Amino acid sequence: MSEVKNFLPEQYLQTGKLKINHNYLNDQFSDLDEIWLKIREVVLRGDFTLGSDVDKLEEEFSIASGAKYAIGVGSGTDALFLSLKVLGIGEGNEVITTPYTFYATIGAIVTAGAIPVFADVKDDFNIDPAEIERKITNKTKAILPVHWSGNPCDMEAIEKIALKYDLPVVCDACHAIKAEYNGKKSGSLGTLSCFSFHPLKNLNVWGDGGIITTNSDEIADKLRLLRNHGLVGRNDCKIFAYNSRLDTIQAVVARHLLKNKIDFITESRIKNANYFDEKLKNIKQIKIPNRDTNIKQVYHLYQFTCERRDELQEYLVSNGVDAKVHYPIPMHLQPAANFLNHNKGDFPKAEYISENTISLPVHEFITNEQQDEVINLINNFYN
Amino acid sequence: MQIPFVNLARQFNNIEKELVQNFIDIGRSGGYIMGEVLETFEQNTATFLEVKHVLGVADGSDALFLIMHALGIGEGDEVITAPNSFIASAWTIVATGAKPVFVDVDQDLNINPKLIELAINKKTKAIMPVHLAGRPAKMDEINAIAKKYNLFVIEDSAQAIGARYKGKRVGGLSNAAGFSLHPLKNLGIYGDGGLIATNDDILYEKLKKLRNHGLINRDECEVWGFNSRLDTIQAAFANTKLKYLDKWNTRCHEIATIYRNNLIGVEVPVDQKWEYCVYHNFVIKTKHRDLMMQYLKDNGVDTRIHYPIPIHLQNAAINLGYKNGDFVNTETFSKTMISLPIYPELTNEEVYYVIEKINSFNTK
Repeated sequence: MSEVKNFLPEQYLQTGKLKINHNYLNDQFSDLDEIWLKIREVVLRGDFTLGSDVDKLEEEFSIASGAKYAIGVGSGTDALFLSLKVLGIGEGNEVITTPYTFYATIGAIVTAGAIPVFADVKDDFNIDPAEIERKITNKTKAILPVHWSGNPCDMEAIEKIALKYDLPVVCDACHAIKAEYNGKKSGSLGTLSCFSFHPLKNLNVWGDGGIITTNSDEIADKLRLLRNHGLVGRNDCKIFAYNSRLDTIQAVVARHLLKNKIDFITESRIKNANYFDEKLKNIKQIKIPNRDTNIKQVYHLYQFTCERRDELQEYLVSNGVDAKVHYPIPMHLQPAANFLNHNKGDFPKAEYISENTISLPVHEFITNEQQDEVINLINNFYN
Repeated sequence: MQIPFVNLARQFNNIEKELVQNFIDIGRSGGYIMGEVLETFEQNTATFLEVKHVLGVADGSDALFLIMHALGIGEGDEVITAPNSFIASAWTIVATGAKPVFVDVDQDLNINPKLIELAINKKTKAIMPVHLAGRPAKMDEINAIAKKYNLFVIEDSAQAIGARYKGKRVGGLSNAAGFSLHPLKNLGIYGDGGLIATNDDILYEKLKKLRNHGLINRDECEVWGFNSRLDTIQAAFANTKLKYLDKWNTRCHEIATIYRNNLIGVEVPVDQKWEYCVYHNFVIKTKHRDLMMQYLKDNGVDTRIHYPIPIHLQNAAINLGYKNGDFVNTETFSKTMISLPIYPELTNEEVYYVIEKINSFNTK
């Protein structure tokens, strides 16, 4: 019997056990026929590998995200990995990032051959620029901030440090499609920005997919080589390189959502989050992060920190609300991070958030009535 | 008559109903990553390949790369392979940090076991034969050498799903094998995908983690890993097609036989009695390659070359230090090979048309 259980499906499939789900994929694609007809065209054309829909998506996505170029790749993880590789990062280099993130951020750094150096977060769950500067050494080759839950980092401060030390900034924008910082769209922040189209993301395809944005001609050209075996023609291989392509049929799904749905999805999430903020702000056991008015955060997750987190989660779940924790163990305390020799207490803010944060369903299919039900349950719990 | 090199639309038209059902089932379920559908496909493929374990991954390159990475191959190591393959074969070795060391091929386009020993030194960690064009490499000889020098063997089976060597399917003849499900392969999906096959339980467990961020559950990461998963919807398509694979491979074999028995003036591939080639490509050799290709093109027959520039002569390989003349067979074949159209949906009429054009070119 295998020791590694396949735990993933539970996250995607609506079981019917819960009334208010984190997951909404069943509701989302009510227009299957329309998508199938477009995919059918791709299949009949035989246009599978970096097909014309990928080109079109790249153009449309670059405009929607405020960047000069967008390059479709195999996944958000690959987007991060390839971004590090295109900057020449590898063995012996250090990359500064946050300990409060998803595994892929760190996986990309380590599999690129570099060492992740953690800088603690602020109360807004994002990396603290002051901590970044303290971590810079002569081995540092990049800063990798994560716009956690779709909330852009303090990019002004980060860019300033990057400029001072001449470091590139790779933004993990996997949660942050359509987010904005000081009026700038998320794809235009940093040297490169990495987005994910994973099924649970705000703009989601039917499998793995990702995209990288940049304003640099040189980086864009090199990324196109890196994602497709280094080929400059069918028979000419300029450099040995990866195979990490966004499937054309997934580009069809992404284009469909980008054109018809992403604005509605984004605005609904913001509206639902604002509603929760308003109704939950007076509960003294809950601490909602400050909302910066210069930032348009897109609430891939709706989170706050609270007292008796585990009990609250259990209470909500037992009452049919799919409350989740993203994520209970910060990266520096993962078994995989043993080689970095970190201890509990090294990053107190990240640890505090991991121990006390909870995520409520905030997607576009949640109704106000459902939100009220969640709010009532939370009130009941603390009274 | 127009005969394209590939015609995926024909296959699609034959089984569209089933594929639409796959699409709708997966679309409605919301289960887009891993899940039962993928597991079923993995089990069915394991049965088909007669191996213990199969894992779906993002593509054929990742399959080979992840195997070598999991076997601990990396910086400072060398892996022996063939220089006449798709560049991804050598790339997967480079990706681990190791150095690809090329060994020339035999008339059958596969690595020549007699030359492998000359390339072995103390840095050598593995041999990666390529079952090119669907034809099994000489696995007994290769495995004997590997045993003698204590090396891993990894089968690049990207082009050979279903092929047999001495009665056994390729993929189960070594430590592990990588397959590709790229749209143009014998078992092709509608995007990138790949498979790892192995009989090694420990390797399997390791690879299962590596393909999915090194996670052992939602919240715990045991080893920093990759994201290399076969999309569930693609697994559903592949599972539908797997049912037809033997039938399709048989038809390719049949077409190959018709070509072989009727072509004149060109060198045709030969089947040895111990092997079952699945003819991912039907590669003929002729001195008049470019003229013949042009003539066929003018007559509506689309052909290809697999591959016109050997890997050791690619720009990407400059740092490896090879030069023209290092691998005589590979280099000669790169100038004489033509791949003819071969896919299950090709009609006999079309096959005979291609034959007629080649024969008329040769008797001109």
